[in-house]
Formats: sequence, structure tokens, C-alpha cells
Amino acid sequence: MRYIKPLRNLLAVCALGLSIGVAGAQDRDVLETPAMDTEHATETLLLDVTSAGNRLVAVGQRGHIIYSDDDGKSWSQASVPVSVLMTAVYFTDEKNGWSVGHGAIILHTVDGGQTWVKQFDGKAANEMVIAQAQNKVARIEKEMDSADEANLSDLEFQLEEAQYALEDAEFDADIGPSKPLLDVWFRDSQVGFVVGAYGFFFKTVDGGQTWSNWGARLDNPERFHLNSINQITGGALFIVGEAGIVHRSTDLGETWEMLESPYDGSLFGVSGNGNVNEVLVYGLRGHLFYSQDVGESWEQVGTDADQTIMAVAIGDKGQLAVVGNSGLMMLSDNYGETFRMHTRDDRLALLGARFLPSDRLLLVGEGGVSVIRGISKLN
Amino acid sequence: MSNKLHDQGDHFILTPKAEPWLERLVFNNRLFILVAFLCITAYLAYSASQIKPDASFERLIPLEHPYIQNMLANRDDLQNLGNSIRIAVEANEGTIFDERYMDTLKQITDEVFYLSGVDRSGVKSLWTPNVRWVEVTEEGFQGGTVIPDGYSGDKRSLDDLRQNILRSGEVGSLVADNFKSTIIYAPLLEVDPETGKSLDYKAFSQELEAKIRDKYQAQNPKISIHVIGFAKKVGDLIEGIGAIAKFAAITVVLTLVLLFGYSRCWSGTLTPIFASIVAVIWQLGILRLLGYGLDPYSVLVPFLVFAIGISHGVQIVNAMTLESARGFDAMTSARLAFRGLYIPGMLALVSDAMGFLTLLFIKIDVIKDLAVAASIGVAVIIITNLVLHPIILSYVGISKSGIRYVQKSDEKSDRKWHWMSYFAHPSVAPISIMIALVGTGLGYYYKQDLKIGDLDRGAPELRPESRYNMDNDYIIGNYSTSSDILVVMVKTGTEKCSSYPVMKAMDHLQWTLENTSGVESTASLVTVSKIVTKALNEGNFKWYELSRNQQIINSSIQRAPSGLINSDCSLTPLVAFLEDHKAETLQRVVDVVEKYAAENNTEDFQFLLGAGNAGVDAATNQVISKAKDMMLIFVYAVVSLLCFITFRSLRAVACIVIPLGLTSVLCEALMAQMGIGIKVETLPVIALGVGIGVDYGIYIFTKFEHYLLEGKTLQSAYFETLRSTGKAVMFTGITLAIGVCTWIFSPIKFQANMGLLLFFMFLWNMVGALWLLPALARFLLNPEKMVAKARAAEAI
Repeated sequence: MRYIKPLRNLLAVCALGLSIGVAGAQDRDVLETPAMDTEHATETLLLDVTSAGNRLVAVGQRGHIIYSDDDGKSWSQASVPVSVLMTAVYFTDEKNGWSVGHGAIILHTVDGGQTWVKQFDGKAANEMVIAQAQNKVARIEKEMDSADEANLSDLEFQLEEAQYALEDAEFDADIGPSKPLLDVWFRDSQVGFVVGAYGFFFKTVDGGQTWSNWGARLDNPERFHLNSINQITGGALFIVGEAGIVHRSTDLGETWEMLESPYDGSLFGVSGNGNVNEVLVYGLRGHLFYSQDVGESWEQVGTDADQTIMAVAIGDKGQLAVVGNSGLMMLSDNYGETFRMHTRDDRLALLGARFLPSDRLLLVGEGGVSVIRGISKLN
Repeated sequence: MSNKLHDQGDHFILTPKAEPWLERLVFNNRLFILVAFLCITAYLAYSASQIKPDASFERLIPLEHPYIQNMLANRDDLQNLGNSIRIAVEANEGTIFDERYMDTLKQITDEVFYLSGVDRSGVKSLWTPNVRWVEVTEEGFQGGTVIPDGYSGDKRSLDDLRQNILRSGEVGSLVADNFKSTIIYAPLLEVDPETGKSLDYKAFSQELEAKIRDKYQAQNPKISIHVIGFAKKVGDLIEGIGAIAKFAAITVVLTLVLLFGYSRCWSGTLTPIFASIVAVIWQLGILRLLGYGLDPYSVLVPFLVFAIGISHGVQIVNAMTLESARGFDAMTSARLAFRGLYIPGMLALVSDAMGFLTLLFIKIDVIKDLAVAASIGVAVIIITNLVLHPIILSYVGISKSGIRYVQKSDEKSDRKWHWMSYFAHPSVAPISIMIALVGTGLGYYYKQDLKIGDLDRGAPELRPESRYNMDNDYIIGNYSTSSDILVVMVKTGTEKCSSYPVMKAMDHLQWTLENTSGVESTASLVTVSKIVTKALNEGNFKWYELSRNQQIINSSIQRAPSGLINSDCSLTPLVAFLEDHKAETLQRVVDVVEKYAAENNTEDFQFLLGAGNAGVDAATNQVISKAKDMMLIFVYAVVSLLCFITFRSLRAVACIVIPLGLTSVLCEALMAQMGIGIKVETLPVIALGVGIGVDYGIYIFTKFEHYLLEGKTLQSAYFETLRSTGKAVMFTGITLAIGVCTWIFSPIKFQANMGLLLFFMFLWNMVGALWLLPALARFLLNPEKMVAKARAAEAI
């Protein structure tokens, strides 16, 4: 009798192993498939790069997250539980970081980017949005029970809207986790925000363990894509997106106001320039706008570029690097007043940049990573 | 007593009485037979003159292989991928941004447009309206043709052109990375929709040369033109076949000179050549009657037939001369020569034919055709060279000068034969065996590098330095393209080829392949979907991903190139561009795909290998490596069995077959060291080499056994063997080698490779028979026992 139990366990393990073997090979969701180890991670599409202490961390296609401890000379591939396109990465200190991507994935690391765990994905996002919509419907229905005649028609209208939003959310959930998150920003290791397509805007107060839908805090009824979230020197937060929308928060993200936009086309990013309350927004076809007053008024920065601008890096003493599609690279030494323009010969898109010590600039983009030396001498 | 035995035939293959009967039949009706031959030859010559070249693609590939069957089953849906040509127009000085260059390019584009066979709707060049640049603006997309509006050739238009090219994304595909050349891309129609005729590759290729390359290079000396594509390659191949006629003439002249040097007698020179040419005529005529054409492989068979015919003819002439020298008249000498040679001759020819027939194991039509053609040829030789030839000689006889030459040179050559007879000496034989063993060891050591498949870049059928392959190198070097393409067919239910589960699985396979060494890049509907999804999102790379939303996928592939989706969306190709077509690369890549297919194929969708030239090559390699050992085993088994039936002694079989084995090993070592892989053309060489190589052994051993049974010692029996047949055997080796060595100069690489290897095998098999056979006999044969056994047999 003693032997029977172990034997049964063994059989059970074998059966389990077999079923895992089959399921594992077949039809695995990209949100459940770890990124494959590859030699190509440094030479294929990367979308964002940031620093974690002295370490550089870049993210890109197929769940690739790579890090370098020698200013970009050599890179290691991080262990990542998903294999979707990762769109942005942010670190609050040298250990704690978050990365977001397609399928509304949010990943978290506590070891400076070497290993990542999944905190959130599009299924959770859909459930969250549905739950919230259901709550709203229930709340309005409850209010209607005790409402007087005057308010009733107003509430009926609200109910209709809420039910419509619920149907919408349920429809999205049927399609599956299809919407990407596009940017991430954390105030500290506990409080942070992510933004994404179709007006996705979530907040966490527990380091990403739980997320709440913050979308109602923005005036975005048309659910435009929110392309970027960033803090400028001085503390103001900005979100920019599709159709030139610009939102600002001066209380670290609790309340938001929509600003007058200088531009109708899409804005892909927002960045400070190193000076207090000065901000740059940028987007399609070389459009770059500059504000000295926390976004109250804007002026267009004249560039010769007709390529879409995707990212800005801030260096020391007014140094700025602006990069974009088709090999666009513009450098400024005066906080963005004037730029020297380059187009890289390979004309591959440049999607992120980071200043490095000794006059070097790290670029990531369509062709992976590259380091440019002697940037101050580039004409 | 032993004399009587051998007069009645030393062998057990035929009853003793059969010999005189057959001989009587032939020689008593010689006039009738001669006339019959004449009539048949005239008829077959007419038939042979109707034979047509035939270089169909399907005959070159292993049709039964699953990859090929998949490819052929989906052929209609894959057509757009295959047949096209690329014409690169290179600016010799400066760049393409030059008024005159652009002018010439325009004229060439127009000319290509009107070439017959070109699918006009698909022609692409900087000058065609389908090459456009597109840009995302605030309002949506904006674009235009690459040639700017109001192009005038001035500096401004050229600057605009440069700008448009950069925006078009055509750098690397239509425009070279260094801006020194551009490509005109022209898809071809296999069947002309107007006339219903299929594309004539030869005419098309010639038209390309005359109307495009020659014309415009002459008109504008500052440009060079490079052309690649399947149609051009086949055209060049067909042209290469034409060069064969030249080789045929050279071979005949060389043989003539050698034969005269050998026999010093015009009848002894011309009759074997005549009989062999009759054999070739018969072979070609019968082939045509059976409905075959001449492909690049079977075009070589007449050479083999001619050479084999000559080598057997030489034996007859040799025997005739020796009998005539003994004073017999022409008729008697012919009869004696016939009597002495028809059994070993038939045996040798039958073993040739059997050797060829083992090629039927290779399931590739050209090789099977080669086997049939060669077997017919050898069967024909039995009649022409063993019957017709002695009959003619019985009329014309051997000239006095020939007989005198034999008598005169006898003494001189006796010294040579005496010296060579030491190969059978008890103290020389062990050294020979040692050398053979060392040779085998070295052969095995060096043949470790032997590879299956093709090792060179470019089109394997043509030489690396051929113009086609130079053009290919140029285009590969300057454009982001590869000439080695593996196509995985993704088969799905109707209207399912672009569904998310299928696309996701394809995406994963693509990435798996891109991480396989030897794969340069991949492309499929998924690539298109990602690029267009990004473009539809204002060119933002954050959207460069396959969407789960089927509507987004559908809109992203609306304008996908037609070759990527078939009409009912049940098949879509996944293309892998490979670094080369070496066998290991191909096998590694198809292994990855097969593993992936095994794990991921479902009822809804399947990944099927494999089209593209790499798919065909991979299938061919697999067929070859499977057939190789089978074929070797069978060819040796057949040859050994025939020898055993004839000589009724395993020791005799060993004496004859072991030297062949040594040659086979050395041949493989030679191939490995010369970078020649085992492939469609080299595998037959092994069968041909063994099948024909055994002739020497059979002729030598027949005489050798004969003299041993007369009671001679090993060495003196061998001396007599050399005296009587050694000269003919040596000469046979040389004529066979000459028959094939002209191929080495063929513009078609596989013909050159076959020529080289057969040249080596024919010569080495002769050396093996003359040198190693007697040494082996020293160890394996016991003359006293043989005599005793023969006597015992006689007593019964």
C-alpha cells in the first residue's frame, strides 16, 4: 500500500506534464509567453530607454527589456514574463521600475531591471473598466429610486450614457486585451500613473499591486489616445495625446485640467528642458512647441525637420537632444531655443535618447541601440 | 585438358553448346544482319533527329517528397512569389542622380514593359507610377510618384527625386543602398494569356540579352546591366546545353587520334567509332520513340554510350589483331574474337546497365531518365559493338600495318608487361595491399568533410564565375535581398488566413526563425500588418505590433501584396530569407519549421514546408541523402552478384570489387576536398563509375582465370593476361576518361563536376584493376585449388 500513493502521484505528474506540454506548445497567449532569449534584442525595435542609477534600461518589441552597466557598451537581456511590444519604462530609483506595453501590460522590477513580474494586464484592465461601469449604472439606478421629478430626466440621461459605456467596455472585453498602454510615470515607489490608447489612464497607490481607473479625471470624452505622461522641472505633470490634446496637473495627478493646445495634430511626447516651469511638447511632422509658463502659452520652435518627433532627452547646461522618425536627430545647447539638425544616414526611426558622460548620446529605435560620440562637435 | 574446358567456355553463365550456336547464327547470316542494321539505323537516325531539348523545372525536383507535393498542391496560390526577373541598371561613374542615367533607365523600363512574357501590371521601376512615396500628415496620408511632378532632369528635379526615394522606403529593394544602381522588377507570365503558349525561356533570355543588355550598354557606356531571375537562369542553362555539340566533335576527334595511335590500322580505328556512333544514334532514336527529350543530364548519356562503345570495340579490335597476327583470315579472326569476348563483354555491359538502373532509387525524374537513357544505351552497345562490329571486321579485316605494329611492338611491350606482372609477385603484393589500406584510410579521413547539397553561392547549376552568378552577387551585395528563399505555406480554413490565432502563430514562427542561425530575415502577412498598423497610427512605432482586434488586422492587410493572400484567404506564405543554401543551413531551418509545425499545427491551420528554391533544395538534399546509401549498397550488390554468377567464387568477386571500393572512397575524398557536394548530379557518378569501372576487372579476371586454369603460376598467368588484354584495358580506361573529360569545360557547373568525377573514377578504376587486382589475387586465390576444382567439374 505504501507504494501506491507515490505511484499515483507520479502518474498524476506525468499526466499533468503531458497536458502542460501540449498546452504550452500550442496557442499560448503572448501575455503568458515569456520573452525568448535572443541575440537580436539590441539590434531590433526598441521604444524607450531610461536610467536606473548608473544602469541603462531599454524596452522594445517581443517583450525585450535589456540593461547595460557600462554606458551601453554591452547589454544583457532581462527575464520578462510576456512577449508583447513594450512601449515605455520608468524607474523611481536604482531598483524600482515599471514598464508598460501592448495588451495593457504593466511589469514591475525590484532589482534594477534584471527580472520583471507582471502586475496588470488588459484582462484586468477590461474587468476593472467593466466593474466601474457596472458600479456607475447601479449607483445611478439607486439614485433614481429616491430622486425627485426634476432630477429624474437628468439621471435617465446619465443612466443611458453609463449603460452605453458598459456595453462598450463589455464589447472591448470580448475582443480581449487589445489596447496598449503607451507611457508610465511614478511619483515614488508607491504612487504612479499609466496612460494609453483610447483614453486609458490608471493610477496606483501601492506600487502597482492594485490599479484604479483614473480616466474620469481627464476631460477626454472622445477617448483620444494618451501618448505620454511626464513631470517637468518645477513639479507640474503633463499628459499629451492624439489631436493635440494637452492636460496638466499641478497637484501630482489628483486633479487635471485641459489646456489650450497649440496644435491640431498628434503630440507624441512632453518634456521639460531643465528650467523651472518650462515645457516642450512635440509630435507629427517636426512640430515642436515651447512654453515658459507651465503650458499657459506656447510658441513653435522653428525646425527644418519634417519627420515626426518621438522623444526628447535632457542633458546638462541646456543640452537637449530631440529624436524622431526617419533618422531625425536635433541637438540644442540653449534649452531648445535653437537646434542643429541631423538626419542619420540609415534613416531608421529614433525613438528614445539618453545623454551619457563624456559627450556621448545613447539612441534607441527601429535598429536597436547605438551610441554617438562627440555630440557637441556635431554640426 | 584444361584447353578443352575453356574452349567450351570457362563460365557457367551459358551452356557450353550455346557459344558456337550464337556464333554460327551471327556469322552465317552476316549479310542479312548487316542490311537489317542499316535499315534500323536509318529509321532510328530519322527518329533521333526529331529529339528536342527539354529543361522542365519539374523533372529536376523530387516530386514525391512531401515538401514538393505541398508546393505543387498550392502552386496556383504561390505563383506570384516565383517567376520574376530583376534588372539592375548600374551607374558606372557617380550615382543614379544623373540626367542621362535616368533617361536610359526610362527607356529600359519602357522596353521591359513590352517584352513578351512580362506581366505589365506588375512592372516596377523608379519610372513606373506604382512606385510611390507616402507621408503621414495632420490630415491623413499624402503621397506621389517617386519621379517628381514636372521632372526635367535638372538639379532641382534630381534633388526632389532623391528626397522622394528616401521617403518611399524603396532603398534596399528598388534602389541600391549606395545609390549607384536601381532595379527594374518584372513579374513574368508562365502562360501568355493571349496566345495560350507557355513562356519560351530560351527566347526570353535571348531577347533580354539583345534588347536590354547589349542594346543599352552600347547606347550608354556609362551603365552596366545585371539580370537575375529563374527565367534568365533557365535560358542560360539551355544555351549551355548547346555547347555540348562542340564537345561531341572534340571527343570523336580525340578518340580517333588515340585509336589510330593504338591500332595503326584504319579499319581498326574507324570500325569501333562507326559502331559506337551507330549505338548513339540508336540510343537517341529509341529515347525519342519512347517520348523522352534531352535535358541537361541525359544530354551527357550519348557521350557515355560512345565511350563505352569504343572501349568494348577496342577489345574486339585487340583480339582480332592478335588472332590475325597468328595468321588467321579476317572471318576466322572475327569469329575467334567474338567467341572469346562475347561473354565477358555481355557480362560487363549487363553490369553497366544494372549499375545505371540503381539510379532509379533516386526519386528525381531527371535522374530516373538518366538511368533509363543510359541503360538503353548500354543495351544497344551489346548489339552494335558485340555483333555489328565483329561482322564489319569480318569483311574488312585488320590491315597488314596493324598486324605488323602488334608484332613489332610485342617485344617492347613485353618488357613493360613483365615489369607490371610483378604486381602479382609475393613480395610486391603486400606492399600494394598496404598502400591500398593507407589510401582507404586517407580517403575515409578526407571524406569526412563531404557535404550533401550545394556549397557555392548563387545559382548552383552555373559556374560561380558565370555572368549570371556575377550578376547575382552584384544584386545580393547591393540590395537587401537574398537569393535563397524558403517559403512556409500556412494553410487555414476559408477566410481564416488573417485571423489573429493564425497571425500570432506565424509571428512566433517568424521570430523563432530569425533566431535560427542562417536566417537573415523573414516576411509575411504579419510583417505587413505590423507596418500598416503603425502607419495607420500616424507612423508611431509604439503601434508596431500585431493587434488582437480582428478589425484592425483586416484593415491593416487590405492592400497587402497579392502574393501574400490567395483568393479565398486559406493560404498565406511565410518567407524566410537565408544566408546561403548549404545543406546544414537548409536542414537546420527546415528542422526548426518542422518542430514548430508539429507543436503548433491544429485542425484550423497548418504550417507546411516548403516552397522557394531553398524548400526545393532542402527536399532534394533529403532525397539524395536517403538514396545515397541505398544506391551504393544496391550497385555493389548487383555488381558482386553478377561477378559471382559468372565466376562462381567469392574470392573472384573480392578481387574485382575491392579495387572499385577503393576508387569510390577516394572519389568521395576528392569531392570533399574540392568542395563538390553530393547532389543530383554527383550521385549518378558513383553508380556510373562503379557500373562501368567493373568492366576492367571483368576483362582482366576472365583472362587471368583462363591462364591460371592452364596451370600457370600467378605471376606468369598475370603476365599473359597483361599481354593479351592489358593493353586493351589500359586503352579502355583512357578512351572512357577522354569521353567525359571534355565536359569539364562545360559552362554548366554540374556537367563540369560530373565530367571531372567520372574522369577520375574511370582512370582510377583502371589503375585499381591493373594494380590492385593481382595483389589481391596473390592473397585470395589458390591456383592449385582452382585447377583441381575445374578438373573435378570436368570429371562430372
